[in-house]
Amino acid sequence: MRKILILSAALLALSACSKGGGDAPQGESQGGPPPMPKPLTVASRPNATGGEKLYLEKCAMCHGPNGMGTGLIARRSDVPLLEKRDDITPDFVIQAARMGIGNMPAIPRGEVSDAQLKEIADYLAAGPHETPQ
Amino acid sequence: MADIPLPPGFDAQKIAQAQRAFESVLGASKVFFDELDRDTYKDKFAVNDAVHHPVGAVAPTSVEEVQAVVKIANQYLLPLWPISRGKNLGYGGTAPVLAGSVVLDLSGMKKIEFDEQMGTVIVEPGVGFYDLYDYIQANKLPFWLSTPGNSWGSVMGNALDRGVGYTPYGENTKNICGLEVVLPDGDLVRTGMGAFANAPTWQAYPFGFGPGWDQMFVQSNFGIVTKMGLWLMPEPESLMGMDVEFDKPEDLKAMVDTIGPLRRERVLTQSPSIGNWLRAAAVLTTRGEWTDKPGALGDDVIDAIRKKFHIGWWGVSLRLYGREEVNKAAYKVLERAMNDIKPMSIKPTTWVKGQPLEYSGWTGTPMTFPMQNVNWYGGRGGHIGFSPVIPQDGTKALEQFRRTYARYKEWGVDYQGSFAFGERHLTNVNAMIFNKDDPEMMKKVDPFFRTLVKDAEKQGYGEYRTHLDYMDLVAQTYNFNNNALRRLNERVKDALDPNGILAPGKSGIWPKRLAGERGR
Repeated sequence: MRKILILSAALLALSACSKGGGDAPQGESQGGPPPMPKPLTVASRPNATGGEKLYLEKCAMCHGPNGMGTGLIARRSDVPLLEKRDDITPDFVIQAARMGIGNMPAIPRGEVSDAQLKEIADYLAAGPHETPQ
Repeated sequence: MADIPLPPGFDAQKIAQAQRAFESVLGASKVFFDELDRDTYKDKFAVNDAVHHPVGAVAPTSVEEVQAVVKIANQYLLPLWPISRGKNLGYGGTAPVLAGSVVLDLSGMKKIEFDEQMGTVIVEPGVGFYDLYDYIQANKLPFWLSTPGNSWGSVMGNALDRGVGYTPYGENTKNICGLEVVLPDGDLVRTGMGAFANAPTWQAYPFGFGPGWDQMFVQSNFGIVTKMGLWLMPEPESLMGMDVEFDKPEDLKAMVDTIGPLRRERVLTQSPSIGNWLRAAAVLTTRGEWTDKPGALGDDVIDAIRKKFHIGWWGVSLRLYGREEVNKAAYKVLERAMNDIKPMSIKPTTWVKGQPLEYSGWTGTPMTFPMQNVNWYGGRGGHIGFSPVIPQDGTKALEQFRRTYARYKEWGVDYQGSFAFGERHLTNVNAMIFNKDDPEMMKKVDPFFRTLVKDAEKQGYGEYRTHLDYMDLVAQTYNFNNNALRRLNERVKDALDPNGILAPGKSGIWPKRLAGERGR
């Protein structure tokens, strides 16, 4: 999985040379890199509720398949997608979100309330989840 | 309590009274004055961690609550610092210019009203690009956003700070159509056709009757925008274009002089951005994988990185949007123009409705991966950008690049630069990536930035947008007739906000009451 994610990040980044992001060619005759995954949002899993829904709404932009968080975690872990991990504790999620960690900025309570953060933390701690990415 | 940052004229008792007043109108769940709250609202990419600390934050979720907060701020003469989502990392994020201000966090205001026939939307401040994208996906609407490289932030915040995306609607501030604004005295105003109660044309015609005020609330501190109308691009029938790489630094001149006329002629309707090799490489790899030598990277290392990832010294992506027949004809024009200036490589791309879509900035897809560049030096990364507006002229662009690149080498910083096209100008974005855990590196950032401001000023080049630390400095460079524009801004400021409660210092605009804080 790690190799696939790193490859994805590399292909995206090459085209980011021109800013704007992963402008991967789609022409049939040109070949080129495979298409990038669609962003993971609530609409991706319309039946999601509770902590899963909040995770999609508040976290997936960075921790989805081609997010910044996933790309950076992939540099030091074989399981960069948080939903796929089996070693996350609620305290760790809360601490990381409120204090920031590595290149992740701290998340204020005005953006994610304590109650919402607890739901997200409990959801991630119950992983790994067999959810589509 | 001694280290709580307090605004001028406040002591701990008075701020506690103001906190209780906020709690009485918002409830305690929307008022954040704990030490941890103060930390979470600091600037995550601060060069100087000792400044711009807020005393706390409040998070109203309705216009009425915003008005109630403004009323209390006027009673206590307490400065407020409005943020939409606070994700403009590199410009200050959630933090205020003036230490001790209360952050007015509007991220909980997330209403979306979409006109599916006309492709217009009204968003509240907390609506992020991912939220609006999600709404469009959930409702299967045939419209594209124009997303910035960091799409974590607010649609409104980006447009109000003159951020850009990469489709033909990329200059987001030009696509604002009607605002709702809480003025510093608590009055509520709607601009354009919104001034006409119940007009069905608020998002159709931006000007209304008499003076147009929308841009008055952009990069300013004259009001709190609570709703913004925005035009969205209808999904095109076809998208065509090419990714082009060039081998040498001096190719910049030909690139600008070839792409510029196509942009001005509107063969190209989106705004291409020419970026150097590091803009790509800093997302792909880290410096430590290539060298442990201090100072700016030498050509040998640059060549090795470029070779590994097959990237030019400069790269640019050009895209055509609209009817397929028109795009095919325009593509030939682009291809000929690019081949004439001998690129290293041209990679064509083509899409028509019904085919799998590329999920990129070119299709208005939100993204965050470009922020991986902050890991370039390792440690706790961050960046700021020096971004002067320069003429759309190849010779002048090349001169600006050479001057700036020489400074990067002199200060021992790796150069990440780009030249983004508007219709008649270039914005020269010079990113300074840093590692906050490297004190020697951090000491250089501020004097280096100030050197670049001075260099640009000599050429008549001013910044389009800047970090909190440099708002006074940059405002000072807009110096026609003894800074007449700043004097005008401050006359307006004092007329609208006599108590000086709203975002003092934003864009170098200070209310009379706090003028002594300028430049501190």
